[in-house]
Amino acid sequence: MLFKTDPAAPLHTGEKSTKSLIHLLVRTLLHTVAASFNFRPGLRRYLKTDSGWFDFTVGIRTESGSVATAVRFREGKVRVLREIPADCDITLIFASDGAVRKLLQATPTEQIFMLMKSDLRTVGNQSYMNLFFFYLSLLLHKKQKKLMAREKNDSRKALQKSSPTANTAFSDELRRRSVSRMRAESRDPGVRYLADPYLSDYSLADFPRIGSFLETHFTVTAEVCPERPRLVTDWYKQNGFETDGNGDPWMPELRQAYAFKYLMENRRPIIRKNDLIAGTTTTKEIGVVVYPDSHGTMIWSELLTVPHRCLNPYGIDRETVDLLHKEIFPYWIHRNFKEWVREKYGSPLCQAIDERFAVYFIWKQAALSHTIPDFPKILRLGAKGIIDEIRGQQAASEDDTGTQKTVLEAMALCLEGLVAYGENLASQAETDAAAETEPKRKAELAHLANICRQVPAQPARTLDEAVNAIWITWIGLHMENTNAGLSLGRLDQWLQPYFEADMAALETEKQRQDYITHAIEMVACFYMRCTDHLPLTPDLANWYFGGSSSDQAITLGGVTPQGTDAVCDMTYIFLKVTEMLSIRDPNVNARFHPGINSDAYLKRLCEVNLITAATPSLHNDAAVMTSLEEFNYAPEDLRNWSATGCVEPTLSGRHIGHTNFQMLNMVAALEMAIHDGYHPLMKWKIGPDTGAVEKGDFKTFDRFFDAFCEQFGFLIDQSVEYNNMLGIAHQYIRPTPLLSSLIGDCIEKGKDVTHGGARYNSSGAACIGLADVTDSLMVIKKLVFEDNRVGFAELKKAVDDNFANDPALYAMVTKKVPLFGSGSDEAVEMADRVTRFAHDRYKSHTNYRGGPYTAGFWSMSNHVIYGTLSGALPSGKLAGKPFTPGLTPEPHASANLLDNIRDVARLNPRHMNNNIAFNVKVVPGGDDRRENIIERMFSYVKTYFDMGGMQMQMNVVTSETLKDAMAHPENYRNLLVRISGYNAYFVTLNSDLQKELIERAEYGL
Amino acid sequence: MTHPLILEIKGNALDDGPGIRSVIFFKGCPLSCTWCHNPEGKRIDAEIGFDAAVCVGCDTCMGVCPENALSRDNSFFIDRSACTFCFTCADACPSGALSRIGEAMGVDEILNLVTRDKPFYDTSGGGVTLSGGEPAMFMDFTGALLHALKDRGIHTLLETCGLFDLDRFNRLLYPMLDIIYFDIKLFDPRAHARYCGVSNTTILANFKALHARAREGGIPVIPRTPLIPGITDTPDNIRAIADFLKECGVSEARLLPYHPLWQEKNRKIGVPPDTDGSPAMDKWLDNTVAKECREVFEAAGIRTG
Repeated sequence: MLFKTDPAAPLHTGEKSTKSLIHLLVRTLLHTVAASFNFRPGLRRYLKTDSGWFDFTVGIRTESGSVATAVRFREGKVRVLREIPADCDITLIFASDGAVRKLLQATPTEQIFMLMKSDLRTVGNQSYMNLFFFYLSLLLHKKQKKLMAREKNDSRKALQKSSPTANTAFSDELRRRSVSRMRAESRDPGVRYLADPYLSDYSLADFPRIGSFLETHFTVTAEVCPERPRLVTDWYKQNGFETDGNGDPWMPELRQAYAFKYLMENRRPIIRKNDLIAGTTTTKEIGVVVYPDSHGTMIWSELLTVPHRCLNPYGIDRETVDLLHKEIFPYWIHRNFKEWVREKYGSPLCQAIDERFAVYFIWKQAALSHTIPDFPKILRLGAKGIIDEIRGQQAASEDDTGTQKTVLEAMALCLEGLVAYGENLASQAETDAAAETEPKRKAELAHLANICRQVPAQPARTLDEAVNAIWITWIGLHMENTNAGLSLGRLDQWLQPYFEADMAALETEKQRQDYITHAIEMVACFYMRCTDHLPLTPDLANWYFGGSSSDQAITLGGVTPQGTDAVCDMTYIFLKVTEMLSIRDPNVNARFHPGINSDAYLKRLCEVNLITAATPSLHNDAAVMTSLEEFNYAPEDLRNWSATGCVEPTLSGRHIGHTNFQMLNMVAALEMAIHDGYHPLMKWKIGPDTGAVEKGDFKTFDRFFDAFCEQFGFLIDQSVEYNNMLGIAHQYIRPTPLLSSLIGDCIEKGKDVTHGGARYNSSGAACIGLADVTDSLMVIKKLVFEDNRVGFAELKKAVDDNFANDPALYAMVTKKVPLFGSGSDEAVEMADRVTRFAHDRYKSHTNYRGGPYTAGFWSMSNHVIYGTLSGALPSGKLAGKPFTPGLTPEPHASANLLDNIRDVARLNPRHMNNNIAFNVKVVPGGDDRRENIIERMFSYVKTYFDMGGMQMQMNVVTSETLKDAMAHPENYRNLLVRISGYNAYFVTLNSDLQKELIERAEYGL
Repeated sequence: MTHPLILEIKGNALDDGPGIRSVIFFKGCPLSCTWCHNPEGKRIDAEIGFDAAVCVGCDTCMGVCPENALSRDNSFFIDRSACTFCFTCADACPSGALSRIGEAMGVDEILNLVTRDKPFYDTSGGGVTLSGGEPAMFMDFTGALLHALKDRGIHTLLETCGLFDLDRFNRLLYPMLDIIYFDIKLFDPRAHARYCGVSNTTILANFKALHARAREGGIPVIPRTPLIPGITDTPDNIRAIADFLKECGVSEARLLPYHPLWQEKNRKIGVPPDTDGSPAMDKWLDNTVAKECREVFEAAGIRTG
């Protein structure tokens, strides 16, 4: 390893190194900072927490040591130190003097990119870095806000200059799509009551209540809500985190349960104005939930500026800033997953790699929540019924250590907390009803009070009760666990029995018609409830996970656990709501089982996709199940799979599959293979020695492929190691007894899900850049080793030069090699070879819960940022340009969409057991009839599935429309796009992501 | 059996017949329409193409051309009088700017390519369309190809200029076809001779015969008329065609609006633009003209949708 980039290198620069002018500048600035905090009382108060002074030291140096100084905060005093002390809490290490200078002049966004591009790295506890940046922000926030305003203005101006007037023909076309609606040509066997399953007579105009919720959704800015962190932090301060009141170590499950119960009993029960569903995740109209035990402290540095940032700003009030800074965040500086791992494992290499941004990101530092709870169970038994079951298990437990009993106690406590919240909602509804003067609403509130007296404590008896029970439980789960990818599962299946029972009790046709209208409105209310919270996204993450909500996936259709056609009335009611609302959350996924589900159902999926432009995501039930065959899951559980977060399969209610444990940049492995283990952007010899291109170490293509695999394997191994460490951190910091009570077998085993209590356990990866890697390997194989058209060293040189000096070679690599998606057998074999390696390597590992690792090929939004953080590739991808989304072929692979579809369908699903994301951008011709357009979309999807393709998602929007939306966002506030697996509003995306969507290949319909 | 050259096999075609189709473009045509939208399909022999927009200027080709036929001073880049069509330059060209136009392909080779998309034909009600150039110029080959397609249960459609020997057509091609798209470009035989190089007497007779057969339970024959500004879109011509079609008992026809993209294609194969100095030939056909032509047809009771 090179000394200068080794994160384990000594921090204090004891050896003599020449200090630069920048060193003096930095010291002068730090002295100014120190003086400001020491002498200005308005600032000095920020040096204090509610229980004492902040006490920490920040080192600042360059890699060469030309700058090396530190600033210490202690006992309410700030001092600049001559040297960086050995016990420094956090050290910021700049690549060079130039990088320091650049940072001082950079805009906030440029600063983010400096961090991501390794101009700056850190060693030590990052909570302190965020705190230090908060201090700087106290001094500089006026300037920062000005810079943000200027950034926003400049980009607006540039866009308006490029497109001065909006082309309303484009926005009108999108709006008009919902006007003409098809009627179903037939009824599926499971549809009992809908005369026209497509519900074509309904439109949003029939539901004014929903229309006003939508208006709120698009106009109200989300606000940071301190309720959850305040209540839980209060509880821990009272009762201890590591040890209890008697000084005995807490059993983590029990500690979490008490804190959770306290939170649920004391949080404000709110019934939103006009809503048919009780309860909210925060006290705000739209709230940002803060989880200081996971990644919450990342927002510390932005507390003053977050309302002003360009992308996805949040409101935050003065009291919340003070509360978070003084009372909440100080408590969690060390008590979060990432810092716990850093301290416990001594800043392991696997963590240092993660924190350099370019290679992989392990989601467990924020959440372990990608799963599907067993909603049918709580609907069937009620929380009290589950508590009874737990009591029974406790009585029967033969565990002498008492651990099982305590874990079960924790689950019961959490359920009691949930029951208490339900009761509080009931009382609130009664209070609201009493105060309400409008008779219809008064009745609704009284009805809600009755519902909340019944659920979630008791079994649900009606659709209204079932929907409320699911939502209230959903709130509870989000109070326990970070809102990242926790998913809803097969709600159409689980609600259908209640819908049928309600309908059966009605006597007249008119009553039944009215009830169908009510059911649609109820589901629409549920969708809108799901939009009441957002994940806490630091500005940096706006570039990493642009525009993502918490990705609450719903899954429709497919087959029943017994293998019969599952499409039912509620499937179509959910589709109708999806069509009418066209919103990003919940993330709607549809299962289609070839040979079992009907063409009419698939055509409806296509029509909803056309009207919404981007949803639902379409899955081939049979192929997904084939991909999971190796695990020998019980057939009835396998058939009950749901998409999680983006696209990944989880066996509903029985499975902790943390299906998005990581995002891994496969292209980084390729770059490292080309550079003998060295990563060019990080300037870090991180991987094993696998041979130097210049020295002619690769005599055959297979030798090079082995080198790629060795680097890839190294990254997989490191990422798995970090994931397992973070998993242990979850067991200690935040086990989740409530979730455990709703995941099959945890109660029977008396084990939390973080310890492997679920019936099925696995961890799923997202491997990013399959098309870019495959195409690059094809170029090397064909041009270097088979056709001898270019030497490997010469190709590497061109790649290193970003093809700037060799247009002929650039033309050759992009035009003369059969690419993945071109219909080439060889390219498909190459892609399969890569996926097989990934699958086998992941599978060779066992996670901390005793389950296997799975490999998926989708990218969320990371194909853009990882592209930005990668150089040019042999495939001709230029430095900084995005990869293709998911495993979508390159736009220039073929002019024929069918080549793309066929090649993706031919990939072996058995290597892709964490699913894929295949994006297709199709656009209808101007004068085509709705039926013709749907017919074509249907043909593409149906054939793709018949050929064995796993998943497909269509963006039905032209590049011209997207360009207009970029320049005139006001006309496109609800323009939905599929990134890779999830939905987002185009106008909330960062500009790189917007451009990537525009540049995707576009095919006429 | 003469093996024709194939220009291109275009997959996922949505405008050349029902459903999702593959279109096989043959090289060689008995007509020589001045506006031909696929001018590279006129000649029966292989040609060399040069696309300046794609060229990266590496000059690799200049180093390999044995005849020194390439020069940047030549606005067509290739001196086709010196070129021997050895295609050495096209093989060496890294960008594909220089290309061979027309590939000899056997029935099996074509079949393998288009059969890959059979699942798409099946879900969409699509199939294979033969176009060109003129597939009926190569009766034996086209017959064999159609036979093979039908053996695999693939829907077939022929786009034809209508100039062929009807007996052979009926014997070799007709039994294996599902639909015929039949071009009626100009009604006046002299105008036809002037703009398309040959008289239309045989074409109109062939159409009459085939359409009569369609009315007796044969396969559909859909007439198509390209609307070329000042040539075919004149009121006289459109009315004459509409009358002729009406007389034949036609109830459905297609009108194909003009587009100027063929001029660029001509350049690529070294043919200077020839538009009779008509500015309308440089633009896409005016919508109102197309509408007027449609109205003439509709008035004659012929659907044009």
